[in-house]
Amino acid sequence: MNSQSGDPRGRGVRAVFREARPSARVQWRQLRTGLLFISPWLVGFTLFLAYPIGMSFYYSLCDFSVLQPPRFVGLANYQELVADDVFRQALTNTFCYAAGAIPLGILLAFGIAMLLNTGVRGMTVYRTIFFLPSLVPSVALAILWMWIFNGKDGILNIALSDVARALGSSASPPSWLSDPKWVKPALIFMSLWGTGHAVVIYLAGLQDVPVHLYEAADLDGANWWQKVRNVTLPMVSPVILFNGIMAIIGTFNFFAIPFVMAPGGQPARSAYFLAVNLFDNAFLYLRMGYASAMAWVLFLIVFVLTMLALKLSERHVHYGGS
Amino acid sequence: MYPGGAGSRKGQFESGTYEAYKLKRETPNSKLGALCAGVLCLILFGWFFRPEPAPADGRVHVRYWEKWTGFEEDAMRKVVDTFNARQDRIYVDMLAVSQVDQKMLLATAGGNPPDVAGVWDSNVVVYADYNAIQPLDDRCSRDGVGPEDYLAAYWELCRHRNHTFALPTTPASVALHWNRQKFREAGINPDQPPRTLEELAAFSDRLTRREGGKLVQSGFLPAEPGWWNWGWGHWFGGQLWDGRGHATLTAPENIRAFQWVKGFADRAGTRDLQVFQSGFGNFSSPQNAFLAGQVAMVQQGVWMANYIHNNNPGMDWEAAPFPFPEDRPDLANSTPVGLDVLVIPTGARHPEEAWEFCKFVQSQEGMEMLCAAQWKHSPLSRVSERFYREHRNKRIKLFYDLAARGRTFAPPPVGIWREWQDEMKTAFENIWTNGQAPADALAYAENRVQTKLDRYQESIARRYE
Amino acid sequence: MAAKSPLALLCVYALLTLGSLLFLFPLIWMVSTSVKPISQTKEARPQLIPYPETVPSPDGRRYPAAYLREAGSREEKPISVIAREGASVLIEEDAPGGRRERRSVAAAAVRIPPVWRWENYVRAVTYKADQLGYIPFLQYGKNTLYIAILSVIGTVLSNALVAYGFSRIAWPGRDIAFGITVATMMIPFPVLMVPVYVIFKTLGWVGSPKPLWVPAFFGGAFNIFLLRQFFLSLPFELSDAARIDGCSEFRIFRNIILPLARPALAVVALFHFMHVWNDFLGPLIYLTDQRTYTLAYGLQAYQSQHGGTQWPLLMAAATLVVLPVIVIFFFAQKTFIQGITVTGMKN
Repeated sequence: MNSQSGDPRGRGVRAVFREARPSARVQWRQLRTGLLFISPWLVGFTLFLAYPIGMSFYYSLCDFSVLQPPRFVGLANYQELVADDVFRQALTNTFCYAAGAIPLGILLAFGIAMLLNTGVRGMTVYRTIFFLPSLVPSVALAILWMWIFNGKDGILNIALSDVARALGSSASPPSWLSDPKWVKPALIFMSLWGTGHAVVIYLAGLQDVPVHLYEAADLDGANWWQKVRNVTLPMVSPVILFNGIMAIIGTFNFFAIPFVMAPGGQPARSAYFLAVNLFDNAFLYLRMGYASAMAWVLFLIVFVLTMLALKLSERHVHYGGS
Repeated sequence: MYPGGAGSRKGQFESGTYEAYKLKRETPNSKLGALCAGVLCLILFGWFFRPEPAPADGRVHVRYWEKWTGFEEDAMRKVVDTFNARQDRIYVDMLAVSQVDQKMLLATAGGNPPDVAGVWDSNVVVYADYNAIQPLDDRCSRDGVGPEDYLAAYWELCRHRNHTFALPTTPASVALHWNRQKFREAGINPDQPPRTLEELAAFSDRLTRREGGKLVQSGFLPAEPGWWNWGWGHWFGGQLWDGRGHATLTAPENIRAFQWVKGFADRAGTRDLQVFQSGFGNFSSPQNAFLAGQVAMVQQGVWMANYIHNNNPGMDWEAAPFPFPEDRPDLANSTPVGLDVLVIPTGARHPEEAWEFCKFVQSQEGMEMLCAAQWKHSPLSRVSERFYREHRNKRIKLFYDLAARGRTFAPPPVGIWREWQDEMKTAFENIWTNGQAPADALAYAENRVQTKLDRYQESIARRYE
Repeated sequence: MAAKSPLALLCVYALLTLGSLLFLFPLIWMVSTSVKPISQTKEARPQLIPYPETVPSPDGRRYPAAYLREAGSREEKPISVIAREGASVLIEEDAPGGRRERRSVAAAAVRIPPVWRWENYVRAVTYKADQLGYIPFLQYGKNTLYIAILSVIGTVLSNALVAYGFSRIAWPGRDIAFGITVATMMIPFPVLMVPVYVIFKTLGWVGSPKPLWVPAFFGGAFNIFLLRQFFLSLPFELSDAARIDGCSEFRIFRNIILPLARPALAVVALFHFMHVWNDFLGPLIYLTDQRTYTLAYGLQAYQSQHGGTQWPLLMAAATLVVLPVIVIFFFAQKTFIQGITVTGMKN
């Protein structure tokens, strides 16, 4: 599983072709057939990726409302963006959310996966239960949690008040979604509910760890923690890294849930996320040029973060299944 | 780890030799069968998802999007039906659309707009600036629709840059509504509402009740319903801008207004208020905070009588002009004015037919039918005796007088009002729930608004040069 | 790593059971709320199981109706429940003279019949084309299916073709082109939102469902990647033998590779279906006519229109949006789990 680069069959076919030494004509024919097969993607790539990216950059240099042709304004949009503290706030919110939700999500999912991997009976039943919530469509998810988080009639606060009373405290729980301080923690908490997806992945990763490694560790007299530290984690780390990066990118696409749960990023823009800010500028204020500039900054951030994650991990992540 | 797992993959390879496939080559018969099945699937698919047939009555169908739902929608539908019944050439298809202002803009930008749309007055300027709606001046002068037909405050809301871009449907002025029962319970004379804003605060404290430390009733909450949170300064004589391009959010009147607002939050406790407010129901339901008795006094528009009637018919209520500051009696009878309007989007397929419909709504008959059914006053300058005689809102004259002779105010007519309003909302939130000092919150908002205003004016100058 | 000591195993079971209860609870609460009357959602002590309509009491309040069976008696007598006090219940019953009297009885003797208000679902779903008050659920379901079917067909067809071109044919420049393809996965969708919208506007497609399914026919990096990995794992001897036999590439693709790739295609189809079912931003931007909305978007429109009061109706609608997904999951559980494993572990 972990030996992608060395896929024996892939190498095999290349070897076959090398032996055959295809003539220029054969190569030309291969090229033609190959291009024919990928032609849908060539069209899709040009029409829905390359061209839009180019246009996006052009729009980012324009005053553009869609209803009128774009008007070139140079770097004005970027200058405004640098000084725009709503954008900065959306950026901070997005990072705060990512910094909370991603590590906690990994920890929780990994913990559950470890528990499931202890050889318990009924593992598949538990796995199904943990997985189910991640299937809930995001709009339904948002509405369901708006109900749970409701400050007065929400079940969460009713339960929390009970706990507080049992502990003899008179503190009342926060009204999550209308309290600027608590709305992000609430969203992070909610995101943990959808961690089942990652549980399934980590569990598969854990099951892929060769048993003989544990046996060898046992022979060395390693205790539980040492085995986790020296065998499990290194073996599973590529999977964690890959999903971590996908999660980072995912945060910048975080749209439906804040859009439904916190319209306009209320309260006090503390739940205003980048994708929502971009959408508002593009389709509510019809500032498509400004939104495009925002999109480019966003793109840059994702690029840098991903590169950073890959660089950092080179030292810590163990690749290969040897 | 591929589907099927390692084990089944191995199995596939065993049976999956090329020879096996040669043997399984399709016969012409099976090919025909597959073709038939494919065609059948296509037919079924086409039938199941067939488009709705276009009505073949030979009339021009005008697509009309409206924001109203429920009884307000029914009122408009009555007008539409009357129009349709008297027509043999035009038929208006009315469709209630949620978030209609946003949808209409998206549809117009996408080149597929409705023929006529019912939106809010605040949308007019934005749409006009983007060329998203058609100027109606030619049609107005052709058919004799002009300022003399309307109350000045409302006509003004349809105009932008010296053009008429919209026509009114139903108007709104705003007054203080109070729950007489709650007044009696608190030992206040239910016939004497607060006259000044200072009195309002004092009454509010007397009407606020707690049970077990928790708020269960509040006298007055500036955040409920919170629809005019941008306008608090106006009640104290403030303005949002100087009318030429400078935001004046930090004018002393505005700061004073928000200090007054903050007083309510401070006295009740921010945390308690949040919990209390999150239990408020939807506006249009019996769980509405005013109708459910959670708030004893609210600032509400002319439509409130209708909502009271529909959701809590037994309620004992009254309405009076919203109070003014004690030291500024000249500010008595202030009201924000708002207007529901009809606009014809750019790119509409049947603008002339849409105009016919708009004209019908503007006739005294059409307008009074609509406004009476929505329990509102008429935006027209001529009102029939019958309209008042049969009107079901007992205070309808109050609202008409406020709009006709009161001190009316409305948002600045700038295309960035939506963003501006978002800034005001944030400022309000920061003061109301974050406990920020009004001067700071307003200075921050003013700064941001001014940047946007400058940018907007530059862009407008470019557009109109 | 198997747990050794029984104590550790017990801990594991306890944690897992507690955890799964916590994970299930929101879903259970959603269904529970969806069958309650609105009054029962606004209580200080909400019940998981909805109880019957309340009956008025002389003290001016309303209490739930229930039945009492006295010890030794066979008959049940209608009462109302005033309060629960641990093992006993304070009830109110008819007393001679038309009065109502209160007393405490053992909790075991009282039966409160649950009343599931399934009519909430009917109310949430009733088709009223011109009204916003309800989600025209059937219409929205149909709209969603229309988009889903077309785009699933498109996704499977186009990505299988493209992935074949990227894996089973060696053409110069292939690996570079594939590298670029994989790199495009990093582009967040919001970046493309504006220019793609402008393209569809130019085509005159805004307001129709076309922008939501036509792009599926032109492939997507993620699925290409997924299918390519699978195609690479199939033995190349099959293709070689067929080539020697004079089969065209397309024939090899259609008659040999596609049938073998069925499980992988199922994963792609399933995930894309889920994607369409969940998609919110696409319909939000492109669908302008209320009658063409999809379920996910319709649900949001309903919520924004009604705000937070009609919780039972909202929960009923949400349940109806969640339910098909869960049903599909139970039918295709294996495909799901394997698909997620594959997509999550490729690096």
